[in-house]
Formats: sequence, C-alpha cells, structure tokens
Amino acid sequence: MMLKYIGNRILQIAILLVIYVAIVFFLLHAMPGGIKTLLISNPKLTPQAQEAIIRAFGLNQPLWLQFVDYMKNVFTLNLGISFSYYPTPVWNIIAERLPRTVLLFTVATLIAFFVGFASGKSLAWNRGKTTEYVSTVVGIITYTIFTPLLIFVVIWFFGSFLGIFPLNQFLNPDLWIHTRLNAQIIFLYILMTMVIIGAVMLASYTIALRFSHKVITRRMIFYLSSIISVIFSIFFWWVSPVGIYAADILWHMVLPVMTVTIISYAGTMLVMRDSMLETIKEDFITTARAKGLPDKVVRDKHAARTAMLPVVTNFVLSLGFVVSGGVITETLFSWPGMGMTLLDSTLAKDYPLAAGALIFTGIFVLIAHLVVDIVYAFLDPRIRY
Amino acid sequence: MKPILELRNLKMYYDTQAGQVKAADDVSFVLNEGESIGLVGESGCGKTSVSMSIMKLLPENGRIISGNIFFDGKDIVNFSDEEMNKIRWAGIAMIFQAAMNSLNPVYRVGDQIVEAITAHEPNVTFEEARQRVANLYKLVGLDPERMDNYPHEYSGGMKQRAIIAMSLACNPKLIIADEPTTALDVIVQDTILRELEKVQKKLNMSMIYISHDIAVIAEVASRIAIMYAGKIVEMSDSVVIFKRPAHPYAIGLMSSFPSIRGEKKELVTIPGEPPNLLNAPDHCRFAPRCPFATDECWKQTPSYSEIESNHFVACFHPQNLKKLVNMNA
Repeated sequence: MMLKYIGNRILQIAILLVIYVAIVFFLLHAMPGGIKTLLISNPKLTPQAQEAIIRAFGLNQPLWLQFVDYMKNVFTLNLGISFSYYPTPVWNIIAERLPRTVLLFTVATLIAFFVGFASGKSLAWNRGKTTEYVSTVVGIITYTIFTPLLIFVVIWFFGSFLGIFPLNQFLNPDLWIHTRLNAQIIFLYILMTMVIIGAVMLASYTIALRFSHKVITRRMIFYLSSIISVIFSIFFWWVSPVGIYAADILWHMVLPVMTVTIISYAGTMLVMRDSMLETIKEDFITTARAKGLPDKVVRDKHAARTAMLPVVTNFVLSLGFVVSGGVITETLFSWPGMGMTLLDSTLAKDYPLAAGALIFTGIFVLIAHLVVDIVYAFLDPRIRY
Repeated sequence: MKPILELRNLKMYYDTQAGQVKAADDVSFVLNEGESIGLVGESGCGKTSVSMSIMKLLPENGRIISGNIFFDGKDIVNFSDEEMNKIRWAGIAMIFQAAMNSLNPVYRVGDQIVEAITAHEPNVTFEEARQRVANLYKLVGLDPERMDNYPHEYSGGMKQRAIIAMSLACNPKLIIADEPTTALDVIVQDTILRELEKVQKKLNMSMIYISHDIAVIAEVASRIAIMYAGKIVEMSDSVVIFKRPAHPYAIGLMSSFPSIRGEKKELVTIPGEPPNLLNAPDHCRFAPRCPFATDECWKQTPSYSEIESNHFVACFHPQNLKKLVNMNA
C-alpha cells in the first residue's frame, strides 16, 4: 500500500518536474533584455561573428525548437556551461554549492521547527500567563520583520559590536590557504555525519518502540543512543585531521542559522499554539485527564502529538520560504550557496546557471514535499493510501 | 450498606464575564456500594457539572465554592491534582458523553486502554495489561482482535463499547456514565445499557447514570435524582419516582413521555423554559413555571427534605399524583 502510494507520488512529482522545467524556460525567456542581445551586445563583434554566435547557440531557430532542445538537454542531464564562469559546466557549480545550502537550511529549519514546536506547545499549555503574551508578540515581530534589517542587526551586533562571530563567507581563507583540501568535500562529510546521526536516532526510536513498552526505557534507549552517536561523531571529527576545517565552517554557520531560525520559528510556534489550543478542547484530552495520567503525559503524548499534524503541513509550506528567503540570507551573509547563485546568475544574465539553480531549487522543494507526505502517513493513522 | 460516594451541599459555580453561573447548587446525595443511581434533568441543568466536580476535572473558570465530596470516606474537595490522579480511573472512572470523540485518533484503541492500566498499576507488564484488555473486550462484546485498530476503524457502537471496556480497566469502585448511549440508535442503546448493568452487577460496582432521558435511566438505576436548574429537586427509588412523583417538575417530566402500556393520554408539556443559571434567583427556581406556586415560593428556596422514607423533595407544595388525577377527572 505504502510503496504503491510512494510510487504514485514519485510519478506525480516527475510530471510536476517536467512542467516546472518548462516554466523555467519560459520564465528565463521572459526576462527583459533577452539572450540574443546579451550575446551580441559587444560592439567589437563583427556581424559575421554575431551571426556565428547566434547560430552556435541555436538562437536562429524558432522558439519551440529551442524549447525542445532545452527540455532534451535538461532530461539528458546536460545543463550546459555557465556564461560567467566559462568554461565551468553548470553541473560542477551546482554540485559545489548545493551542499552548502542544504547544510545551512536543513540545520536552521530543523532548529526552527523544534524551537517553534516546543514553545508553541508550552504557550498553549500555560495559556493566559504573561509569558504567553510576551512570546506571542515577540514571535509575530520576528515572523513579520523585514529580513535584511534583521540580518544587518545580527551582523552588526554579533560580528561587529561583540566581534565573536565572523561577519560573512563560509570559511576563513587564512586557515584554508595552507591546505589543498576542497571545502566541498568537508561539506559533504558534515552532511553525511548529520545523516548518520539522524539515522541512528530514527533506528533507536523504532527499536525502542518495538522492544519496550515502558516510557522510561524507551526514552533511555533513544537518548542514550543519540548522545552516544553525537559524542562518537564529535570524537571522530576531533581526531581527524580535517576536524578543524569542519569547525571553521560550522563557526561561520552560526549567524546565518541563527537568523533563519529567528525568522522562521515563529510560524511553527503560532500554528502549534493555535492547533494545541484547539486540541486541548477535544474530548479525548478530558478522557486522558480522567484516566489520571500525569499532566506531562496528557500534554505531550495526547495533546501535542495530535496537535502537531497541522504544524507539519505548515512546515511544508515554509520550505518554499526557505528557498526564497535563502536568496536574501545567503546574499547578505555572502554565503555562496544556491540562493546567492540564483541571484548572481540572474543579474549576470547567466542563463544556463540560472536555469540550473531554479531547476535544483524545484527538485529540492518537490522532494521535501514527498518526504513530508510520507512522514504524515506515519504521523496520522487516519491517512491511509 | 456502606456509602461509597457522598455529596454534601456541593456548590459548583462558573465565573464568567457576565457573572457567576450556579451550575450546581446545594447538591447532596449518598451512593452506596454496588448501587446505581440516575441523575436526570434537561440540558444545562448541571448534571455534567456535578460529574465533573466529582472527578475534579473542571474548566479553569469552574470552581467548587463549598460543600464536601466524600469518596471512600475521604473528602476529595481539597485534593491536589497528584492526589486526584490516583483516584481518577482507579477509583472513579467515567464513560463520557461523546464516545465518538473520547478516543485519541492517533493511538490504537487497545493501547489507550493499556495506558490507563499501566498508569495506575506500574507493576503490570504490557502483556498482562493486554490480556486484561482482551478479557474486557470479551466482557463488553467486542472482538479482542480489534484492539489493534484505530478509533476511526470502529463503528459508533463499537467505540461506545470500547469506552465502557476502558472504564472497567482499573476495576474502579464507581463509574460515572454521562449520557452513555445518547449518540446511539435505540436498539444499540438498549443492548449497551443491559450490558453495562450486567457488568455492574457482576463486578459489584457503583454507578451514576446521567441522562436527560428518564426512560433510559429507569431501566438501569435503582434510585433516581431529578435535577432542575442546578439543584436536585426530587430523589427516591425509581419505582417511587414513577408512581408517586411529588415535585411539580417531576410530575411534568413523568407526563411528558408516552407509556407503552395503559391508556393513551395527551402528553403534558411544562410551559416556559428553565431559568438562566447566571445570577440565579433566590426563590424556588421552578416557581415561574409551576402551576402550584404561591407567594412563599417566590420568597425563598424550599429546603430539601424527606416527605416519606427515602423520598426527598425540595418543594413547599409536594403533590400527591393520585389526588391530581382525580381532580382533573
């Protein structure tokens, strides 16, 4: 059942991707200026040279033929060569920058989700106290604040006034100049470590769920294995010769992660608060209380667990924001990831790179939707596919 | 017989922005071990407020102003939440008004019952608890294989049975059944009531049935208390209440539903509507609708007193039904 559903969803996503890729083509063509004028705008080019360039790029062909060529290329995984980084293929640029964005935004989004979830939960539970009003107002402010303004304040305060965090970039060139190490590799290693820790946590949770029915033992198994895997990976990085470079990257990540968290935790918090307030009124909460369950069990096991369903939906919607917000965040922190690439390539009229960046952004969002759909099926037993 | 629950002049008020709502005012009754009583009254008369006061599951704006609730000899009015958690379900269990929504949709039904058992008896292993739940399922007429289903996979009647099984999970001394069958059709209603009664007799539990349907209550309760506007107006054995109701409201209730046997009679309705419990009046609360009301009734509240052995009425003019029938004829 589940596999069939996932298969269906992947098929849907493939269709959506084709449509999306097509839209990207027309979007780029709709950009003012146009690719033709860009290529031949150099007054030093002779008419023959201009003609040759136009023919080389196939721009003398009708639009639909260009479109067919483009689609053919994209789906044969040929994204072309970047104009501004000539002759680097778009693939290489994206392979280099995608891990940076994925690392930054998965960390930030996960932190924001858990901060929002936990705070929304306790806000609803402690309804009517001063802390509820204060946090709600603060949350609305950070949620609606003009992002660049917040980033400038954060950079000024922590980077300049306190001087404890680096202002921008994702690594310290003075440190890296003595090594032949590629930062891309380190990013991939860090991502891999995160995936391993995540897998260990998931596995221990599943094992705990299957082999014990006592909440305390379950919790022990889960926390112990999580802590052990974290300590083990820290130790591994500590003794490895590249640990210091990873630390440098993480150090540069602190401010951007903090900013993205501040901007996006409140969305989760407010939805969680509302959802939780609705859930508390439900009859099964009264049942749980009447059963004589401790307050914390009623809150976490019965109320929060059920209230989190709409929050997960909100989380999906916020993934789109992660990508668009990423443009501003990455640019202001000079974090050379996908968001900054998208902006730079668009401004530089680097059509192949812009197309590549947009396509990968789309793939990212579509995959995230798929993951959340699957997670949702596990969270809500009423949903069966 | 030993009393298991005693309410003594219980006053439970809700604080609202418009003022105090006197949902339960001077409610007193005694429930003995193994006995079942019915609490009858129309919607909003305070039945559920009384049951929620006994469980001490009041909303934030509801509080017990005065009075005592003795459960098993101890006054639980001033019990803390932790102390109450030991009594809830293990001592007093509840069957809720809305069985449809009383089960958490994201957990298996069996697990929710197991949860109640393990919360109160930490030494019971999961397997033992499951075995107990399976036995309870058989007791209430459910297939134990359905334990691993989710609530949305149950029908309404099955949910109600599951809720009953859940209420029995910790062998409570007292079960409060708040409209246990309102959401069900008449046939299922009857089966479930009979099953409840059977189980109650078998396990020698005390029960409080709460309903607006006096016919439902009469089937299962040995004594009936009739509530009107936050007060118990009449209480006696079921037979007495049906044969010789004394309070004008009770008489009205009795004549407002048809009898299957006996002659066809015009159903009598009680004119008017129940008073707003917000800033409830000081005089008899039924006076505005009462055909027998005199000046006295408009001045003060009648006391709740015994007019014959085990027959309590709060009225200045308790009526004799026989006399009334003769008068009409």
